[in-house]
Amino acid sequence: MPQNLDPATPSLANAAICSIAASLIPEPKNIAFIEADVKVITANESETFEKFRNINLGINRTEIDIKFELEMSSQKKKNFQIEAFKHRVVVDPKYAEKTWKILEHAIHEIYNHNASGLSFEELYRNAYNMVLHKFGEKLYTGLVSTMTSHLKEIALSIEASQGALFLEELERKWTEHNKALQMIRDILMYMDRTFIPSTHKTPVHELGLNLWRDNIVHTIKIQTRLRDRLLELVQRERSGEVIDRGLMRNVIKMLMDLGSSVYQEDFEKPFLRLSADFYRGESQLFIESCDCGDYLKKAEKRLNEEIERVSHYLDAKSEVKITNVVEKEMIESQMTRLVHMENSGLVNMLMNDKYDDLGRMYNLFRRVPNGLSLIRDVMTSHIRETGKQLVTDPERLKDPVDFVQRLLDEKDKNDKIIHLAFNNDKMFQNALNSSFEHFINLNVRSPEFISLFVDDKLRKGLKGVSEEDVETVLDKVMMLFRYLQEKDVFEKYYKQHLAKRLLSNKSVSEDAERSLILKLKTECGYQFTSKLEGMFTDIKTSDDTMQGFYAAMGQELGDSPSLAVHILTTGSWPTQLTTTCNLPPEILTVCDKFKTYYLGTHNGRRLTWQTNMGSADIKATFNKGQKHELNVSTYQMCVLMLFNNGDGLSYTEIEQATEIPTLELKRCLQSLACVKGKNVLRKEPMGKDIGEDDTFFFNDKFASKFYKVKIGTVVAQKESEPEKQETRQRVEEDRKPQIEAAIVRIMKARRVLDHNNIVAEVTKQLQSRFLPNPVVIKKRIESLIEREFLERDKDDRKLYRYLA
Amino acid sequence: MAIQKDRVKFNVGGKIFETTATTLAIAGRDSYFASMFDENWDLQLNPSGDYFIDRNPDCFSILLDLLRTGELYIPPHVPEKLLYREALFYGLMGHVRTAKWGSFDGNRLQPLTSITGRAPGDGTAIRASPEGGCCVAHGSMVHIYDWMLSEQHPINLDYQRVNDACWVGPVDPTGLVISTCERLGRGQGGMGLFNTTTGELRHKFSVTHEGVVKSYTAGALSFNDSYNLFSSCKGRSNEYGIGVWDQNTGQQVDFFYEPPGWSLGDADKLQWLNGSNCLLVATLFPRKDNCYISLLDFRSKSMVWSWSDMWSPANGDDRRVRDAIAMEENGSICVVNEFEDLGFMDLRRESSSVRWSSRSRLMKGKMPDEPCYPKLALHEGQLFSSMNDCISVFCGSDWVLTSRLRRSFGGSICDFSIGGDRLFALHSEENVFDIWETPPPSIV
Repeated sequence: MPQNLDPATPSLANAAICSIAASLIPEPKNIAFIEADVKVITANESETFEKFRNINLGINRTEIDIKFELEMSSQKKKNFQIEAFKHRVVVDPKYAEKTWKILEHAIHEIYNHNASGLSFEELYRNAYNMVLHKFGEKLYTGLVSTMTSHLKEIALSIEASQGALFLEELERKWTEHNKALQMIRDILMYMDRTFIPSTHKTPVHELGLNLWRDNIVHTIKIQTRLRDRLLELVQRERSGEVIDRGLMRNVIKMLMDLGSSVYQEDFEKPFLRLSADFYRGESQLFIESCDCGDYLKKAEKRLNEEIERVSHYLDAKSEVKITNVVEKEMIESQMTRLVHMENSGLVNMLMNDKYDDLGRMYNLFRRVPNGLSLIRDVMTSHIRETGKQLVTDPERLKDPVDFVQRLLDEKDKNDKIIHLAFNNDKMFQNALNSSFEHFINLNVRSPEFISLFVDDKLRKGLKGVSEEDVETVLDKVMMLFRYLQEKDVFEKYYKQHLAKRLLSNKSVSEDAERSLILKLKTECGYQFTSKLEGMFTDIKTSDDTMQGFYAAMGQELGDSPSLAVHILTTGSWPTQLTTTCNLPPEILTVCDKFKTYYLGTHNGRRLTWQTNMGSADIKATFNKGQKHELNVSTYQMCVLMLFNNGDGLSYTEIEQATEIPTLELKRCLQSLACVKGKNVLRKEPMGKDIGEDDTFFFNDKFASKFYKVKIGTVVAQKESEPEKQETRQRVEEDRKPQIEAAIVRIMKARRVLDHNNIVAEVTKQLQSRFLPNPVVIKKRIESLIEREFLERDKDDRKLYRYLA
Repeated sequence: MAIQKDRVKFNVGGKIFETTATTLAIAGRDSYFASMFDENWDLQLNPSGDYFIDRNPDCFSILLDLLRTGELYIPPHVPEKLLYREALFYGLMGHVRTAKWGSFDGNRLQPLTSITGRAPGDGTAIRASPEGGCCVAHGSMVHIYDWMLSEQHPINLDYQRVNDACWVGPVDPTGLVISTCERLGRGQGGMGLFNTTTGELRHKFSVTHEGVVKSYTAGALSFNDSYNLFSSCKGRSNEYGIGVWDQNTGQQVDFFYEPPGWSLGDADKLQWLNGSNCLLVATLFPRKDNCYISLLDFRSKSMVWSWSDMWSPANGDDRRVRDAIAMEENGSICVVNEFEDLGFMDLRRESSSVRWSSRSRLMKGKMPDEPCYPKLALHEGQLFSSMNDCISVFCGSDWVLTSRLRRSFGGSICDFSIGGDRLFALHSEENVFDIWETPPPSIV
């Protein structure tokens, strides 16, 4: 071997391969060795092979050519090697061109699926050498033009594909291109690593994608066709056809791989536009032909279909966009119409408790702006309307228990809707509460009715009901109580009713009573319930006192009528104006004894008999020797006792003897003489009403199958009109000091304040109990000015000053 | 084929190697081996049952060992450059780089080598690149060295004096900004962004005052995270201040004019503070008679913190600040005087004064013939200070001296720089610089 060879030059290495490769060829004409032959040629970079190379590359490769080369190489194997090294080895001026041709050929073969004959090692080395010898630029531009020309060919074949095969062809070519690109990058890796970063060129893989985009996807003939085809498939799927989702996914994935802007411009934007048009049309169609419930079902189905579509073959980021389109076109644009739809809209659903439809509406409307507030507004006005009807219906006012029960039912119904359909949304709960607060206070008698409802429950309604159920009922009552603006009115009534329950011993359960008082206490504070608690204490101490009385005076009393006295603290109880009556002498004796006893044990107290609140059990014997025990009120007892001394008493006689107030007396006579089955007295003339000229007789023929007969007082559970006025007046009276106290408290802190601010502050302080009327506040201020708690400012008449 | 499935036989330049596909897989997808064994390639075995690679067998053996063990051992007879070239061929450069030296630790540094330049001594600055290479500014030339320490094409600034250089950073590893002096009468000077591989000028940063482009002298440089470039600028008509440019577009985005009685345009050092969004500007003795250190907030166009020794009573020459560095984590600025005494100032307090730490170093009277002013650097909680021919490393909350780096050649250290997990120190008497690196963590 010639010694002037530089081992670093490629010639020697290539020559070595050449000899190895050549020696592998035993039979020149064997076609099977064509590949080996190619290797010889491609590996060769010495001048000696120049001739072959030119022939080889100048003419299109044919079998004959190859055979020719094979013969040449095998024949001249020894000779040319020696010959080669006779010349000085200089860098081949056509070296770059030749090496590039090899690589270009390889790229062709890769695209033609003919890569099995390529040697990775050799191609990598050639690419490496080109970069190493500063031919990177040539390699890069060569790559761009070769790849471009292949892609142009591919574009033609995709364009030529017919109809439905278009997408399939595109997908197939895309897969092939990706594989080819991977292989090309494999052999050009060295360029990718060194030449491309230092020259700020596009890396091979990205370059391949860009070229695909520019030469395939963005060509006139393919771009619109691709877009239309994709959109057509989506539309067909929407109309119920089954499409090849895998194909769709792959093609869409291709657009995403080409960059998010390609996906957006070439597919997503037109897709969204088309969808908007489609759903605009469809919503129009549905709204004309469906009722609200069906429409919502269809909208929900469409929405779910779109979400599913995104998960199957679109970019996940498209989900928000497409659902926005559906929401806008199918829900937002039609929601007012849907809600107000005749016979099937929101009001209808609410009335018929259509939880599924309501839930669907909630879930769909929640997605669009103002959707829920629309539902809320319609629902609020519906509840207010029905509530208003409920509280103002004169029929309902007849039965307070039923009235309150209906309120509770209405509340339960709406609570259930909010719970089942509206996801317990706070917004709806608040709307419900404000609606109830609104209409309950439309009726001034609501506080009274609620108290009556409680009274009814605590008298009998809760008999035999478990403790938990009692709690539930009480909680519901408390909820209604919270809606009341005039809580003090409720308190007033509640006190009356409680007093009656306690005194007549009619309360079902003391636990329930106490539990409710506790609830009122947590709601309104200690002040609100202290008197109510005082009433319980009085009852308890009364029992003790009575025991003491009988223990001390038992023998003295003998067989006189037994007495049970409730000592009520003045102020704790709703006392009416003291209306005394003349008690029968036997009773009076016992009462006086008790009075002496009590005042003897307690210093400095005053006892007043509340005869209007008492009751009595008297034994009566009728004509046939029939004995009955009559349970009557104190007044009735007084009247009946008169008949022990004489029959046929006129109204005036009775009135004079007992001195019972006219109204009470009439009421009491009515219940003794006019109620069937309880008429222990007989009246002449007969009639329902008591007249001043009537005469009363002991009814000998009275008969009852019960031994004990309870003679109730004819008294409406509800208050009569004048009583109502009276209670109202008392409430107003009670409010005065409260308002004054509030004004003084505020003025003491602020010293100077104008009128409007005082009214606002007072209202704020008192609204937990009642809503004070501004006119009343003004009067109270004037009263305070008169009493010199306040004075008007001398310059500004609207300003008040506090006078310490 | 009698070879078991996992076993792979190579013939590299005539030498047979046998290994496994598992070992080769460690090379990663971007390597020669991964591509070679990709199913796309219909690999052809030689009749002897191996794959031929036309490369240097000695290097292959080292690289194969690297894949097998993760450790790099270069036998003395193999030149490093040769190995690097082969690693680049196989796509194993990342592996070599990682195996060669570990992450930076000032206390474990070991000298790698010293490189001598062609020009005489007295270099201006040395700057470590994020990749582990460096550049040395010298007169009007900037010499570039890659991480393998082979010199690239130098950048010649047409006889304009280079003042500072600054690597753009990881986003553009080849980008280098160079600031130069203005050349009177030609409108040249200022700053440019160069590609260090090709030497091409990518942007020239110009300064505009009242709509007119003016020539200027660019001094110290700094970058921030939002790709802004800062430089101290001196224009001819007293247009002194700090210029701000967008690194990507090359456009000037802001200019902070020097307030009267202060110094910004002459600054020796700029440092961007990420936490407080401020720029530290330090002009130091002897460039000016007094030292001026300030923090600039560009959003409010205000100086949010400042210190100058013209306010403090002169106490002789021994306490002149020669370099300053802000340490955001400690909320302080560290300064150093020519005797390498460290001083600290509180960043959180206005009108702070220097608290000198009492380090008893017997420096006075022992100055070398050609003293260099001390310089400071901070790297992950370690403070570095150069003085004469050695660099001190300080650690911990009270900055205890923990290590000393010294090589006895080239005279005093005039500049040093830390980057790419390496420390570069440039000597002043002779044109030579040292490279220090942390050995990789031991495998066992």
